[in-house]
Amino acid sequence: MRFDIRYRTTFTYDGLVRESQNELRACPATDDRQQLIGYRVMTNPSSRVSSSVDYWGTRVDAFGIRAPHLSLEVVAEAAVETRQAPMVTTAPRLDALTDEAFVDSHWEYLQPSAHTHWGEAVSAAASRQRDYLGTDVVSLVLALHRLAGASITYTPGSTYIGVDVEAVLDEGEGVCQDFAHLAVALCRSVEIPARYVSGYFFAADDATGVDADTDMVDVQTHAWFEAAIPGFGWLALDPTNQREVGLRHVKIGHGRDYDDVPPLRGTVAGTAVHALDASVEIRRVGSIGPHWQIAQQQQQ
Amino acid sequence: MTEGLFAGYDHDAFFDEVFTRDGEIRPHYRALVARLGLFSADELSRRERLRDAAFRTQGITFTVYGEGEGVERTFPMDLIPRIIPADEWAEVERGLVQRVDALNRFLDDLYVGEQAIIHDGIVPKWMVLSSDGFEREATGLSVPHSSRCVVAGIDLVRDVDGVYRVLEDNLRNPSGISYVLENRAAMTRVLSLAFKDHRVRSVDHYGAMLLGALQHVAPPAAGDDPTVVVLTPGVYNSAYFEHAFLARQMGVELVEGRDLVVDDHIVSMRTTHGLRRVDVIYRRIDDAFLDPVVFRPDSQLGVPGLMAAARAGNVTIANAAGNGVADDKAIYAFVPDIIRYYTGEEPILESVPTYLLDDPDHRAEVLDRLGDLVVKPVAESGGYGMLIGPAATEAEIDEFRGKLEADPRGYIAQEVVSLSRHPTLIDDHLEGRHIDLRPFVISGEKIEVVPGGLTRVALRRGSLVVNSSQGGGSKDTWVLAPERDPRRPGDRSEGADRERVEGDPRETAQLPVVRADDADAGEEPSP
Repeated sequence: MRFDIRYRTTFTYDGLVRESQNELRACPATDDRQQLIGYRVMTNPSSRVSSSVDYWGTRVDAFGIRAPHLSLEVVAEAAVETRQAPMVTTAPRLDALTDEAFVDSHWEYLQPSAHTHWGEAVSAAASRQRDYLGTDVVSLVLALHRLAGASITYTPGSTYIGVDVEAVLDEGEGVCQDFAHLAVALCRSVEIPARYVSGYFFAADDATGVDADTDMVDVQTHAWFEAAIPGFGWLALDPTNQREVGLRHVKIGHGRDYDDVPPLRGTVAGTAVHALDASVEIRRVGSIGPHWQIAQQQQQ
Repeated sequence: MTEGLFAGYDHDAFFDEVFTRDGEIRPHYRALVARLGLFSADELSRRERLRDAAFRTQGITFTVYGEGEGVERTFPMDLIPRIIPADEWAEVERGLVQRVDALNRFLDDLYVGEQAIIHDGIVPKWMVLSSDGFEREATGLSVPHSSRCVVAGIDLVRDVDGVYRVLEDNLRNPSGISYVLENRAAMTRVLSLAFKDHRVRSVDHYGAMLLGALQHVAPPAAGDDPTVVVLTPGVYNSAYFEHAFLARQMGVELVEGRDLVVDDHIVSMRTTHGLRRVDVIYRRIDDAFLDPVVFRPDSQLGVPGLMAAARAGNVTIANAAGNGVADDKAIYAFVPDIIRYYTGEEPILESVPTYLLDDPDHRAEVLDRLGDLVVKPVAESGGYGMLIGPAATEAEIDEFRGKLEADPRGYIAQEVVSLSRHPTLIDDHLEGRHIDLRPFVISGEKIEVVPGGLTRVALRRGSLVVNSSQGGGSKDTWVLAPERDPRRPGDRSEGADRERVEGDPRETAQLPVVRADDADAGEEPSP
């Protein structure tokens, strides 16, 4: 499926600010289920954007505005084509998770991190699923995905990044980042490598994931998770919407948790932010466009 | 030998730098011992006062953390210098160059290379990934000529047989070089005649050497005369004196984060004449404080946008971000293999037997023997948070047992090294005190070592901890120039650089400070 995505964030300040320095992670990745066709970043006031690829493989666009300004608008436009994810065709058993090479190559995704630091409640909930289900890794991942979805009610504005997963589980409310962090923590607590994914989701409504009946939606950035399945690779699941990650998901990047792929981070000198307006406009365009075919040919 | 100052001197069972086991004076100390023999106790204490006055006027202090806010005290220099003969130093120097070369390559492999050393199974992947010093933000950040450790401080000790062993590497912000230079300046005033008996290699070209190396790592676009600055966290930092000292020695600006500004990924400093572009930042602040966009968002010490500027290739940060992974004390155990891997050579310098605690069997063994071992936290430096088994109480050992079990990756255990001892002036006589040596290794166009380095002394009797933060003192360290070839008297053309010695007329001509005549006037011992 082909999408044009327009990410836009506007900061309005109480007074003049200066020396704004920022990093944007909004560029769709290219992997086995999606292909980036075009991407550009614009800021207002304008700035020189310097791009690099970080440790996790995500494109980072750095820019700064030194001169005094009252507002900052950041716009990133992307064209991307998604494909169906491959089916999981293996059925590894739990003991495959303790294979030395598997553990070594997924070490970072097995450790607790700032936003996935699980405690006894998360660990006990995950263990119960494991004990109940037997030895199939994929079944366990799917069960933990369902558990994460069932444990939280989607409540916009209910949390901010920084609340730990035990608190989220306890409160029972959260947004997509919380669902993703909880699912990651549940997996890691039973030794399944899992990573946090930042991305875009084409849906009429973030909460329900209902397919849009128009070709244009106005949403926010989204988050989900991926679990490592021995002998297969990463299985991507969207716990907020209780579905597999499919054609309507566009991945930006992954990391241990939110802090490794924040869409926008930065510092500014001066007064406080008065208002922050963030939006993501996704337009569905004709299925396979000419750009995509060109890209395909170049790959061969 | 047992007359005067040395009366009752006992070298016990340790390796003594001055005396052999049989009580003979080692050849390279004979002239010094003879010279000291001429001094009365009164004369020595007069010279100690002279030294104290010299240091006080220069404002040399060292802030000790954990003793209340901003406690400053002087880092006392013992009057008796340490002497290292030329051939002995040549071997140490080769070992240091080899080690730092390998560590630079290791860091480059991890951050901008293919991590070949991990894929080849020499260093376990998880050991790197779990290191606090492994800085993911440094990935892809290259440093010109791979000089990631522009300044390295490699701590050496000598064991009971006099064998030099590396105790730890300091690849982030090693401090202490200012004491090396100040100690030498003070010694040439207080004991100037002793220099006339020896050909002591000079150290005062350090500023030029460091500046040369820093300019060498400037981005290629910086041109022929790159601008270097020293970035300090400010006056409350324990090593602020050194930051100011080094800026002065190099003739460059000393700046704080707020003096620097980033525009279009170019770093400039605010000056009275407007902005001036900066090419190389010799930073003396930790990685975590470098840039609040990327690291700690609450840090006021760094420069927002600095990392992006470095990534854009517009500025070089020295030492490079992320060096902490290579001086992680658990990675230390792999350094001999790291040297073999990158250089294809056997390590020249010995290490100290080190035990990692992640393996449950090793851990159990270590826990059984805690009373015989030294335990160190992997990411600390400066002697903080250590357990010295033989000197610890039962309660302290129990406390560490708990810590090791809770965080096995956070600690290592090492065999106790019986550090060598050196005669040290205690009140009016000499006693043996344990010493170590921190040579400073500079990676610029080539890897060079400042002759000698900082000899630290554990002033407390029997103590093995020499860190300045732990009640240590220091000694001027004399590396002797090789003997001149007797068949070619006066020939200095060959290796002239290596033989720059104290009192050399070529040297004094360019010394910024001319020796005070009044200090020299009192040089001959009072009758």
